[in-house]
Amino acid sequence: MSIQLSYPTDIEKFLPDVIKRNYGKWKERKFHGNGIIEHISETGERVFTIKVALPPNARVSADTLEKFADLADKYGVGTLRITIAGNVEFITDSLEKALKIKEEVEKMGFPVGGWNGALWGINTCTAFLTCQIGVVDAPSIGKALGDALKPYFTGEVPLPAKLRIFISGCPAGCAGGTAIDIAIVGMWGAPPKIREEVLPMCLPPPKALAKVPESQVFLVQVCPTGALTLRRQDGQVKLTLVGERCINCARCKENCDAFDYDPKDVGVAILVGGRMANSGSGPRLARNLVPWLPANPPMYEEIVAVVKRVVEVWREHAKPGERLGDFIDRIGWTKFLDLVGVPRPTAEYMWVPDIARTYLTYRARGEQIFKGFRDAI
Amino acid sequence: MSAPPGLPPPDELLKKAEEYLKELEKGPWPSHVAEMRKTGYPLRVYGVGLVARKSPWGPSVVKTKRLTGVLARVARDWVPGGGEEVHFRVFHTPGKFLPTDYLRKIIQISREYGVGLIEAVGQTGAMVINVKGKDVADKMIDALREAGTDVGGSGDAIRELNACVGPALCEFALFDTLKWFVEFRKDKRVHDAIAVPGFPYKFKIKISGCPMDCARANRGDLGFIGVWKGAPEVDQELLRKKIEAGEVDPQKLVANCPSGAISWDPEKKELKIDGARCKKSMHCIRAAFPAIKAGKERRVAVLVGGGSKGRYGPKLGWFVGYLKPDEVQKAVDLVFKVIEPWDKEAMAKVRIGDYILMEGLYRFIEKAGIDLENTPKIVEKLPDNVPYRVLPEEERKKFAEFAEKIRQAVRV
Repeated sequence: MSIQLSYPTDIEKFLPDVIKRNYGKWKERKFHGNGIIEHISETGERVFTIKVALPPNARVSADTLEKFADLADKYGVGTLRITIAGNVEFITDSLEKALKIKEEVEKMGFPVGGWNGALWGINTCTAFLTCQIGVVDAPSIGKALGDALKPYFTGEVPLPAKLRIFISGCPAGCAGGTAIDIAIVGMWGAPPKIREEVLPMCLPPPKALAKVPESQVFLVQVCPTGALTLRRQDGQVKLTLVGERCINCARCKENCDAFDYDPKDVGVAILVGGRMANSGSGPRLARNLVPWLPANPPMYEEIVAVVKRVVEVWREHAKPGERLGDFIDRIGWTKFLDLVGVPRPTAEYMWVPDIARTYLTYRARGEQIFKGFRDAI
Repeated sequence: MSAPPGLPPPDELLKKAEEYLKELEKGPWPSHVAEMRKTGYPLRVYGVGLVARKSPWGPSVVKTKRLTGVLARVARDWVPGGGEEVHFRVFHTPGKFLPTDYLRKIIQISREYGVGLIEAVGQTGAMVINVKGKDVADKMIDALREAGTDVGGSGDAIRELNACVGPALCEFALFDTLKWFVEFRKDKRVHDAIAVPGFPYKFKIKISGCPMDCARANRGDLGFIGVWKGAPEVDQELLRKKIEAGEVDPQKLVANCPSGAISWDPEKKELKIDGARCKKSMHCIRAAFPAIKAGKERRVAVLVGGGSKGRYGPKLGWFVGYLKPDEVQKAVDLVFKVIEPWDKEAMAKVRIGDYILMEGLYRFIEKAGIDLENTPKIVEKLPDNVPYRVLPEEERKKFAEFAEKIRQAVRV
């Protein structure tokens, strides 16, 4: 089949003139309060960018985007920029216009902020908006957290360094994984339940299944810990799940709709101290601070409280310029647990070295931990 | 997913859903629910999902002229009234700049063929536009093509590429990330791999201009990060000026360098950076640019095997060598070199990082034939690791002669 995609391959067409003239010639930046940056070029030209937060999951209506486009035409250089972090940047050529844009956008209900010591944004996956596998609704958690943390975004309350939050609805980590300051990940809480009536859709047809060895069936292969096994008995095929081996990685659910959960088990894990940038001690995955917290829509008070507590501890005790991961390294993991007030018994098995880089990051709740893993650490 | 136990009857369920949605419209942070109210998105289904604490969507299909980038959902049977949702992954522009005339075209398409709801950016780097229904899907693709973009990049294919803004707006960019981005897109093989799925799992390519890694290349299946060799360049004259003006504090530069490579001579007023110890954290450069700049010898570090989804969970990439900033074509070739052994040998739903964990990094490098500057190599096993072996007659004679010589020399 031949498909000819016509995606944009022309840089010139999409850049505003002022950026085309100064492409690769930028030499300095100045901050004008939170959210406004002045970029100064070698040629002496200046460009101001205004960072505006979008709703969770960067979901905007066509009406709102049109208003943004009107603003960009009226006060800006006729171009918007979307950042991978789900913020939108207006581009303009003078500070007065930049402040005007800030005023107009804030009137519309969108906060301006980010940069330097502040919350830079909250990324969420789509979860219940479109996804079939998500177990908690990330966008509404994002909204609840945003309401609570807005002063950190707009700079009313300064933070020691950059803070970014990723909220994923399940361990697939579609909001950007766990390599970030605070990652909130939806957890099943208990091994999945199998819906026998849907299962045949995910298995080979009965005649083919009779000839395939048990270990070669896709659903069995997909499980990273061998918790799923196929048993044959008197011509009957049965998929069994060994609960204590399950680590709640959600891979079976990603590949087959037959796996189900009970909402009362569902919660979120909170991971802290990861980052992408090579600053400080370099890129790394976050560590599991709280393996399970209840997720109660629509305001998620428990999650908001814990995240706020973590941010407050960091804000109070960190040196200027120290990101959450560096701060934890300096004071030590156990000291950090004490400061946040996380119960020690659960903390014993949370410290997983980065080098492991495996599914060990995720664990089941309470007694459901696969014994082998616990002994290994 | 089946209906959760204890779900209230339909009327009560819808009423409660509305309550939850209203709650989410309040508060100072921008609300996705308030935005979706202005569109034709079936909010009722979302609300029911919130009350049930389960995703209300189930799998569905839509037939279009595209094999990737087209996704459809249908509401579960326990959602009163049902509903469907179709969305497209639309390619973003280089650097994600949206000129207003282009943006207005997208808005108009979203209103005509869609429900008026746009996800400005997803974590892959694509824009997501909700479609009105299955019947207008092909028409929307035609309209998007006319506007200068297209639909694609989902499933087990190369996904939408992602590059940081690079030299367009950032002074720290060490190579032209946007040029790399379009060169990748222009390549026929990359184009075909985006349009037609055929790999064991998804494959993401990310391009970051400097070690601060705004494009999150550490997390991509194949990441490119701009770096330099040796120490950053210091313009002592300019730095002194900056220190006098109070913009830079030399003591702080020294104290905050994570590798301790910086030393400050207060008498000569000179800053020295030890290139061997510098770990490219960008700290001093960010604090004192342009007095301290990245070194002249630029490279692009190549990382393979990152990702947050996959058999063995979240991973960061492994470094496999340097490219030069102008070697884009070599980078494009590298994509397919890296994919080849994974595509041939890996099981379905195994990311390239998982495959490397199974195979071992060195064996993977050998199989993929990666041979770049500073590519990690296996050190061959030294013969003295195995102390015993059968020696032929001549060899033994040689050692006997050697012993005789030594004996005479030391006069035993």
